[in-house]
Parts: sequence; structure tokens; C-alpha cells
Amino acid sequence: MTPERKEAVVSEIVRGTPSTYPAWFSARKRSKPLIVSRRVPILLVGLPVLVLLAIVIYPTIWMFYHSLRDTNINHLFSGEHASVGLENYRTVLSSERFHDSLWHLALYLFFGACLQVLLGTLLALIIYEYLKSNLARALILILLVLPMMLPPSIVGTLWRFLLTPSNGAINQALLDLGIISSHIEWFNAGVSLWSIIIADVWNWTALPLLIVYSGRVSLPPAVYEAARVDGAGQWKVLRRITLPMLKEVIAIAFILRFTDAFKFVDLVYVMTSGGPAQSSELPTYIAFQRGIREFAIGEAAAYAIIIFAISAIIVTLFLKYMKRVMKAQGLA
Amino acid sequence: MANITIEGLCKGWDFPVIDDLSVEIEEGEFFVVVGPSGIGKTTLLRLIAGLESADRGRILLGEREVTHLPPYRRRVAMTFESYALYPHLTVFENISSPLRARKKDRATIERRVKAVAQLLRIDHLLDRKPGQVSGGQKQRTALGRTLVADPEVFLLDEPISHLDAKIRQDLRMQFHTLEELRRVATLYVTHDYAEALSLGDRIGVMGNGGKLVQIGSARELFERPKALFVAEHLGQPTINAIPSILQEENGSLFACAENAALRLALSPQQSQRLNGGAKRRIVLGLRPQHVRPADELRGRDSEIDAQIDIFEALGSNGIIITKAGGVTITGLTHPERHFEPGQDLRLAIDTEALHIFDAETGLSLLEEPRWQG
Amino acid sequence: MAATADIAQANTQAAQTAERWRAVRYLFLIFLGFWLLFTLFPLYFMAITAFKSAAETNLTQPTFWPQEWFPENFVGVFAEPTNFSALVDSFIIATGNTLLSLLLGSLAGYAFARFPRQAGGENMAFWMLSNRMFPPVAILVPMFFLFDNTPWGTDSHISLIILYLVFNLPLATWLMMVFFRDVPHELEEAAYLDGWKPLRAFVKVTLPLVLPGMISVAMLCWIFAWNEYLFANLFVGSDVRTYTIVIPTFTHGSQTLWNLQMAFSLIAMIPPVVLFIVLRRYMVRGLSLGVVKG
Repeated sequence: MTPERKEAVVSEIVRGTPSTYPAWFSARKRSKPLIVSRRVPILLVGLPVLVLLAIVIYPTIWMFYHSLRDTNINHLFSGEHASVGLENYRTVLSSERFHDSLWHLALYLFFGACLQVLLGTLLALIIYEYLKSNLARALILILLVLPMMLPPSIVGTLWRFLLTPSNGAINQALLDLGIISSHIEWFNAGVSLWSIIIADVWNWTALPLLIVYSGRVSLPPAVYEAARVDGAGQWKVLRRITLPMLKEVIAIAFILRFTDAFKFVDLVYVMTSGGPAQSSELPTYIAFQRGIREFAIGEAAAYAIIIFAISAIIVTLFLKYMKRVMKAQGLA
Repeated sequence: MANITIEGLCKGWDFPVIDDLSVEIEEGEFFVVVGPSGIGKTTLLRLIAGLESADRGRILLGEREVTHLPPYRRRVAMTFESYALYPHLTVFENISSPLRARKKDRATIERRVKAVAQLLRIDHLLDRKPGQVSGGQKQRTALGRTLVADPEVFLLDEPISHLDAKIRQDLRMQFHTLEELRRVATLYVTHDYAEALSLGDRIGVMGNGGKLVQIGSARELFERPKALFVAEHLGQPTINAIPSILQEENGSLFACAENAALRLALSPQQSQRLNGGAKRRIVLGLRPQHVRPADELRGRDSEIDAQIDIFEALGSNGIIITKAGGVTITGLTHPERHFEPGQDLRLAIDTEALHIFDAETGLSLLEEPRWQG
Repeated sequence: MAATADIAQANTQAAQTAERWRAVRYLFLIFLGFWLLFTLFPLYFMAITAFKSAAETNLTQPTFWPQEWFPENFVGVFAEPTNFSALVDSFIIATGNTLLSLLLGSLAGYAFARFPRQAGGENMAFWMLSNRMFPPVAILVPMFFLFDNTPWGTDSHISLIILYLVFNLPLATWLMMVFFRDVPHELEEAAYLDGWKPLRAFVKVTLPLVLPGMISVAMLCWIFAWNEYLFANLFVGSDVRTYTIVIPTFTHGSQTLWNLQMAFSLIAMIPPVVLFIVLRRYMVRGLSLGVVKG
């Protein structure tokens, strides 16, 4: 084999360009589009990208910089803050407060995100399978979605009101129904986090519910007719047809709730302010508290960057999955 | 009114699609490009329309070079395979779109749209939206939109491929009779050989690498294909292609099927064209209409023994698929005859009509080698 | 004989399964009923509280039906003029942010849908989307100091209009991309061949077809901006106050004015609820980032 021939074969393997392609093909320049200049798409995308760079990327870099310094409010603008290496991270990672807040986050992720998707899916399927009138379905959907249309501040104050231990409506109702015999102290240590989770489940279960319901509606009826002809029981139909076909839809609902859960902090603010005694704090809440209320900016920045890093991993994984789903649907 | 001149047109994305294509289509000519799906026919139309830019080569409409002009400066009308009707506009608004784009006055628009709609028999649908009319009516609307534009060139991309057989026939007849199409250069793209043979003044067969393998009239292409690819693409049932080797015996040539016991004598003219060449590897092309049961075809025929594999009685003819000396050969017969699978019969082959192609290049050895691969 | 026995057995089995499913069905319907109660009870209590007197809301035993009706609460809310101006502020911010998000998002969304390669490919589109998914904690502190140094300061409409782009611009871009993709490219090409220039072709063909999607994106962005609490809580408060930060502050001395608070909440939730009911079908598409067709 001559060297030239060998080269051609190697390039064919590496670049997938058979050496038999005509000369003009390898020599060609990218032809100029006739209708819309190549610059237009770049301009169209450029403006939004610049905006996001300014309001997302710049602040993130700012935070990263200050996470390595002993910045506080007194010398933030004078620039007299000194580099402290990874000291801020060490402080955060070794603090009891951070560990506790991670545990709270784990509880919240499980009950706030997973449970909502589970309940939402169950409710969506119940509504679709057992309610046959379209009017009833639409009405119940609208009623169940109402909490989702409320801002966190209303949800928070409303539930703080409902859960007031001494004369709250929930305690009174449970007493009247004979379910409990004495008032539950909803905002004591150990309970307050659960109060927040209850409010959040009330607030957001409708999202997975809506998404799964719409997914179920668009499943082809032919599959179900075929299953009925084959004499498959309801349980089998659910396990072998409905759930597998709704897999992607449920996963998307889960992704949305899970990433939202990482951002979640506002109900903590409104309902408990992290208390009592920091028993319902989430990492994000501490970051805000340290940064904006107590102006320990270096430490807050370390919190922020840690949270950012964790969610970067999760968001990347989720987006990969979403890309696959959208490819399968021909959307991307 | 103008000719379309295409010189050395090249276009590729990740691989070359149109490779050094040159053709001239005259004013008033109905030129059909036929070829298998995905070969680059639509790309050719899009290049002429200005929806894609050429990597190399020139496109001229008349004297005017349009290679670097956007579509709205080219005076080219095109129908899309998907019809591409505006779903939010009525049939009337769809058809009048080219006139409105050129700022014609209301009365002119009204008059011309009505005339075209009448011609295409969709004048009762003008107030409907595309979603409310049938597939054939959609195609007529798309056609109306191009006809009304009064362009220098018509480009029609698989205009009737997705319609039912009966409507397809109906519209095909209409293409024959539409004056407008016969006045200017029309480029019609299809994968259906029957459409091509029926409609084209000239036909270009597009083959791999986006070249026009052969250009000619329907008769020319059918009777004197320059390449096996052309012969295989035109005609139903498909031509019998039998890999063979040439052998010489007593001064005359024979084609012997490879690894099979089939042997056909070639005529003196054919032998002369092949100019000796014994031991050469060839592909024998044998159209089914030149293979018949021996009692149906008489004259200068070779006869061979064969056995029926499958018999299909279609309306206008019968198809026999036979085994002869280990080679499968498809032939035709009268539809009212009947054959049983396994039945022996004697086949007559019109050797005068044989096509002989080079086994390596696929080019015809009998025709002038005008086209170079 | 054996065959008949088999059939009989199969029949009893089928009957048993059917019986079991009937039981499960009731169980499920009871659960649905319970969930409706769980969802609606807080809303119900919110509604009746809005009609109670201040004294009644502070009884040691809460009442589940107002002893006396006080519809004037809904007027009383606005006795404090800042409450009304809070709704106005929220409206200005939500609308301003929606318009900006929609404009910028449509530009980029169109580019992603039509010129994916030139616009940076799908990775660029996914990067845009990822901005919505990240926790805003990393940006709030620096943005606070950044806006503090601008002439309009943090406590202004403009600061929130810009800040809300953090979540609404990625959403609008992404969804507009999805909706633009639904419009076949060939329609625009047909328009070019008809003689329309690119901008006219866009306005005549693509825009009308994408308009329903665009409206639903606008509504979604508007609801998110209207309901935003966290950013507003940190950034504004004296010159500008959104209704979401006003709600937790309904107090008189040490007493919370629950009745006025709930009345105000009821008023503020009207716009999003109405928008949702009208655009339910499109909302699902938007809420699921375009993956689930509503």
C-alpha cells in the first residue's frame, strides 16, 4: 500500500469521507445563504444570550470570586477583602447548620417532589379512568389546579393561618372530626418542616397531575382496544401499557418538580423563617440569610456555589434525559 | 419566457448530493426528472428555486443569471410535495398570494384567481380553508397558486404522488392539457416511472451521486437505456438483470449466465457491436415483455426450457415468474391463460431486444458511450 | 364435562376479579374525594374568612361559617391606598417583564427553530433552558449590589422587570422555539416563492400561525411574574411594593388582619385563575416545557 493510499484510507475511517468524493466537494467553501444572511440568526440569539450572560453568568462568577474571600458588607465596596482560599467552603461544609439543612432538603425533595409526582400521577389516572363525563373532568381539574395559581406568599400566609396551633382551622377541624384529641403544635421544632411540606404538596401536586393527565389523554385508544380484545385485566393494562407509555411524561413532571425543589425557599421565608431554632432551614435559605440579612458575603457565596454545583450536576443529567425524550418525539 | 440553463451545478452537505449537473430545458418544454427517493431530485428543484444556494455552477433563466438571487427575485413558481398551503388562509387567499405579493389591484386578482380556479375545477371551494378540502383539492390549490403567478419556470415536486390512484390519473391528464405549463419551461420531479414516461417531453433519470444518468425521450430511455440503472428504474415489471459471461463459439457470441445453465445466442449485429470481447463479464438485461411462452412469440427467437414459479393474472396482462437453468426470469403472457406453479413450459426470448451492460460500470455496451461515469 | 368445569371456574375467577376491581374503584374515588377536600378546604376557609369580621377571625374556636357577613372587607382592603398601588405595581412589573421576555424570547426561539446550526445548535438552546432550572441563590446577592449602583436603584419597577428575565426569558425562548418548530419551514419558503420578502413572509405566514402559542407563552410568563415573591421581597419594599410582599404584612398592632388579608388574596388570584381557565390547553404545553401536548 502506497503512503498516499494509506493516508486516504485513514482519512476515510477517521472522517468518513470516501476518497472517491469529487474534488469540488472537499474544495468547496460554505455557500452563502440566499434568503437570510448568516449573521441574522446570530443577531437574533445574541441579544437574549447577552442578557442572560449579564444577569446569570456575571453574578455567578462574582459569587465564585467572593466565595474565596473574606468579604463582608463593611469592605465590599472598598475592596479591602482578602483572599482566604477555601476557608469559606471549609466553614460551610463543616458546620452543623449546613448538615442539618441538607437533611431537611433531602426530606423536602422526597416528600415535596417525589410524593407530588406520585400523587399527581395517581390522581390523574383516577380522574381519567373513573370520570367519564368531560365536564366533570374539566371541572375537577380546574378545582385541583387552583392552588397552583397562588403566589408563595399567599400560600404561606394561608397555611400559617390554617395551621395556627391555638385557634387554627385545621386543628379545629381535626378535633371536631375526632381525629386528634389535643392541638397539634404545627410550628414546633421537628414539625414545622412538615408544615412547610404539607403546604407545598397542596400548592404543587397539580403540576404533575396536569402533565400526566394530558399525557394520558393523548395516548392512542387503539392500543387499549387491542388490550381489551386480548382480555387483559385492568392491572395488567396499567402496568404493561399505561405506565410504560407515560414513562417519559412522568419523568418530565418529575424533572420539573425536582429542579424547582432545589430553588425552593419562599415558603420557608413566609411560614417559619427557618425556625424554630433553625429546624426548618434549607441550604438556600441559609445562603440568603447569611448574605443579605447578615452580610457575610463570603460565606453566603460559598453556600451559593455549593448549591449551584450540586444542582448543575442534577440539571445536566435531567437535561440529557429531556433531550432524549424530545428527540424521540421529534421536537429537538 | 425563458430557457433554464444549468451548468456544472454542485451541492452537498455532509456528502455530495448534486454532482456536476448540467442540463438545458427549453421554453415550453415539459422536463421530467425521475429517480429513486432521496437521490437529490428535490434538492435540484430547491436550487433552481433559490431555496438553497449552489456550492458551484450556474443557473440561468433565459439570459439572466440567478445563481445568487433569493427566490423572491427569480420569478420561479414551485409546488411542494407537502403542498405547503397556508392553513390560516382560504383557498382564494392561498391562490392569490403571488398576486398580492406583486401588488396587483383587486380586480385583477379577483379575475385571475377565478380563472385559474375554474380551470382547476376548485372554484366552488374558494372560501374554504385548506383543512376543509380533500387531498386532490389541496394539490389543485397548490397548483393554482403556482399557475396564477405567471412565472418563467414551473417546478413541480412530486405533485401527485400522495393521491389516490383515480385522482392521480385525473390530475395527470390535466398536466397534459394545461396550456400554462406548456408555454414555459417546466421541471417535474417524480419517483414514478409511469408518470415520467407519460408526461415528459424529455426525461432525465437521476442516479447515485446526483447526476443525470441519461436524458432523452420516453422511447429513447425505454428502448436504448445507456445504463443498467436506467433500465432497472423504468418499466414494470422490472427488467431481468442476469449476470453473465460472454463466450465465443464458431465465430458467434453467447451470453452464459454465471453459475447457471442458461445460454443465449446473440445476434450478429450485437456481436459486431461487442467486437469480440469473449470472457467478458456482463449483465444481460431482458425486459419481461420480450419473454413469452413459446407459443405466443414467433420469429427470430431463442427458446429455452423453464418452469413456472409464480403466475399473476393482472387485468391487461399476465406475469409469469419462471426458473430457467437456475436463473429467475420474469415474462409476460395473456391474462386469460393459466399456469400452475411447477408447470414446465418453453419460453421464447426476443434476443434482438436484449440489453447488454458492462458488469463493472453498469454502462450499456450496445449504445454509444456518450455518458461517462 | 371437564371443559364446562373449566369455563365455570374461569367465570367465578372473572367475577372475583371484577368484584375486587369494584372495591379498588371505590377506594380510588374515596381518595379523589379526600384530595378534593384537602385542596378545597383551605380555599374555602380563605373565602369565608374574607367575609368575617376581624373579631371573628381571632376567636379561640374558629368558625366554619361566618356568624356575620362583612362583604365590606373587599372595600376595606383598599382603604389603605398602598394596597391598590401594590396591585398596580405588580401589574406594571408583570406586564413589562412579559413583553420583554416575549420579544427577546421570540427572536431567539425563531433562530433556534429555523437556523439551528447558525444559532449555536441544540446545546445552546438547552443552555438557555438550564438557566431557568438553576437556583437563583447565586445571583441574588450580586444583583442586589449591582442594582444598588444604578440610578434607579433596587427599589424600582425596572429592577424587577429585568431580574424576572432570569426565569421568564429562558422559558419564553424555549417555548417559542417549540411553537415555531410546529410551523413547517416550507410555508415560509412557499411565501418566498410567491414573491414575499423574508420579513413580510414572516408576518403574513409564520406569525399568525404561531400567535396562539405566543399568547399562551405570554400568559404563562405573566403569571410567573405576577406571583413572584422571593426577588421582590429582597429588592423592593418602599417605593415599589408588589402585592405578593404586601400580603404577609396585614397587621394592626400585633394582630394579623386575617379577614383583609384573605380578601386581598382572593382579589389578587383572580387574574391567574381566569387566564388558566381560558388557556388551559396551551398552559399544559407550556408548563411541561413543550413536551406534553395539551
